[in-house]
Amino acid sequence: MADAVIKIENLTRRFGAKTALNGVSLSMRRGGVYGLVGANGAGKTTLIKHILGLLQAESGSVRIFGLDPVAEPVAVLSRLGYLSEENDLPGWMRVDELIRYSRAFYQNWDEGYAEDLRQSFALDPAAKIKDLSKGQRSRAGLLIALAYRPELLVLDEPSSGLDPIVRRDILGAVIRTIADEGRTVLFSSHLLDEVEQVADHVTMIRQGTIVMSAPLAEIKRTHSGLSLDEIFVSLAGAKA
Amino acid sequence: MRSSAAAVAWEFHHRHRWYLIGLAVYVLVLGLIKPIYLGPEEILDLGDGFAAFAVVPFSITFMYFIAVFTFGLTGDLAARPSIYPQRMFTLPVSTAALAGWPMLYGAATMATLWLIVRVLARWPWQMELPVVWPGFLGAVVLAWMQVFTWMPYGIRGLRVITAVTVLTSLDTTVILAINYEWSEASIIAFLAPQLPLAYLCACIVVARARRGVVPDWSLFSRTAVARTRPPFRSSAAAQRWFEWRRNGTSLPVMVAIVLPFELFLPFITGYGARTFIFELLIFILLTPIAMAGFAGATVSKANPFGREVYGLTPFTATKPITTVALIAAKLNMAMWSTLATWVIALAFIAIGFSWSGADTVVIDWARWFAARVGIPRAMVAALLAIGGLMLGTWLMLVQGLFVGLTGREWLIKTSGLVWLFIFMVIGPIFEWIAENRVTWAWLWDNWRLLLAIVVVLKIAAAIVVAKRLSRSGLFSDRALVAGAAGWAAAVFALYGVFVWWADTPILPRFVFLLVAILAVPLVRVSAAPLALAWNRHR
Repeated sequence: MADAVIKIENLTRRFGAKTALNGVSLSMRRGGVYGLVGANGAGKTTLIKHILGLLQAESGSVRIFGLDPVAEPVAVLSRLGYLSEENDLPGWMRVDELIRYSRAFYQNWDEGYAEDLRQSFALDPAAKIKDLSKGQRSRAGLLIALAYRPELLVLDEPSSGLDPIVRRDILGAVIRTIADEGRTVLFSSHLLDEVEQVADHVTMIRQGTIVMSAPLAEIKRTHSGLSLDEIFVSLAGAKA
Repeated sequence: MRSSAAAVAWEFHHRHRWYLIGLAVYVLVLGLIKPIYLGPEEILDLGDGFAAFAVVPFSITFMYFIAVFTFGLTGDLAARPSIYPQRMFTLPVSTAALAGWPMLYGAATMATLWLIVRVLARWPWQMELPVVWPGFLGAVVLAWMQVFTWMPYGIRGLRVITAVTVLTSLDTTVILAINYEWSEASIIAFLAPQLPLAYLCACIVVARARRGVVPDWSLFSRTAVARTRPPFRSSAAAQRWFEWRRNGTSLPVMVAIVLPFELFLPFITGYGARTFIFELLIFILLTPIAMAGFAGATVSKANPFGREVYGLTPFTATKPITTVALIAAKLNMAMWSTLATWVIALAFIAIGFSWSGADTVVIDWARWFAARVGIPRAMVAALLAIGGLMLGTWLMLVQGLFVGLTGREWLIKTSGLVWLFIFMVIGPIFEWIAENRVTWAWLWDNWRLLLAIVVVLKIAAAIVVAKRLSRSGLFSDRALVAGAAGWAAAVFALYGVFVWWADTPILPRFVFLLVAILAVPLVRVSAAPLALAWNRHR
């Protein structure tokens, strides 16, 4: 597939006796919004860490923009925006310092867009990250993931534990990213209604194995109008 | 578990059980030396060096227990809020119990530790040590340490300064008491009332922490204003700034706190004999290197003040910057931190010595030395000495990166144990060599061979690291060759200086070359990118 942004083939990863990913194969095309759903410990974050190059494939292969993210981290990461579930922004930095520091890494950093985002997220540039609320920290993380208009936006459980207003901002960011032609979003979440709102393709992972991966419309058609929540529960129940 | 007291005890025991098991095994082995190797009436007398086998592990255990019972292993010591674990504040337990149980368990542990030390000192060594007051001192030190670490502060970093000052004062008082030969009863009378007093203070500080009190004692307005600064020229410049802000100031600040205390000595005692000035000067000059050993332990951590955060956070790991550039930023930060430290140290030494009048002694030495070797050689010697001290400081900051940056806790802990073992055996080995004429003679005859063996080991290790760097793709072969050429140039430059300075028929020139090879850092620094890559792409 020539325009595959993410191409994973037969990826297997074990942590001791536990198989975190078992023969996972995935292909994500440019311009799509891909929802990655699964229960806690299903392997979503492990899969995302392979995409970021933070984990090496034990067997199988991972290619992002046709490149190996472990062998060529700079080429991959400079085109990729990432919002971590861990929200690990350095607490000692101020918001303006975070922006100044982050922009140094990306040639495509759009200063005007960054300022727009800062204002729309109501982030005080003089505030220290450690003094921000959880939602504000997520917004700050989202700002530095979006401000260089990455070709691929990876959001790992971005809405987890956040209030509806911050979740709305995150969904808005996804929609804005889609509006930029040719950009791709990979969105992992527990909140299936959110995934249902924005994703046009859903991948369901269970105990390290892909149990379903198809366009959302097709999933709904084959499951006779059930919501994603209901489909998830039925699949989890069927496979358990 | 039927009570909160049992639950708190279980947590302390369960988290640190492997250390306790290791200590118990060690104590057992030390205790078995006498019945196995000596008769019941014989005394184990292996010299002062062998006392390191008892002193080093028990001193470390003492510090470890302080860290455990203050919760200092998991908290940010420099932070303003209390480091008492927040999760415990929501337990249905009174504040008195929250303060009391860790204090009681800590005091009992310290007293037990002392009793074990005393039994061991008496059993194989037949040393008579006091029974009660050192145990009391350990418990009191821990109790005040708990108070001052659990207390919320209004200024960041004040916890560390306060705790060190109070404990130094307490230790000094007790040392003076011993010096003036107070009776054990008098020392106990001085120490014992401090335990309930510390408990009361602990109840107050834990209650404040539980209410979420974090005072603000800053002298200046906290209304922060955003500053417009020009963008960084490159990602490497941004990463250097990041490293400097995170780790760069620790060492200069530590040295700026410690040196005034050391330089105060001539004002108290008078600088008296020239040997005192010489010893003091050596001690002060080695202080930045020793402090760098402590500061260096934090350079490879994601959070300099936390313990369980080895390696990289995703924030740094997902920045589009090469692993080599991340290491270069650390090395660069260490260089500037070293320079700042030595500017402060030399300024403090100049001021302290001139105010105390000790500078005249140092100037006399310098003149005598210059007259003996000539001014150019004296100047080069001074530059080499300062350069060596600065290189030693820098190395202490960065030499642990190749272990710390792996992010593997088992490797980091094993490395710590190896260093502990080296500290324990180095004294006895030197003592054994000094007392054994045959060994001494053999060493005298073969020291050049030993030096050559160490050089061969260093070069072999460098070749292994270079091969792995080449295979990993972290450096191009061209960069590796350029690096090796740069290293060789530094070695030959140093060799040239050595030969010019001290060419003598007594020493063959190749010895200077071997020393130069050992002096210029190579293996540990060049292994750091491999360690970080292993951590970044697990």
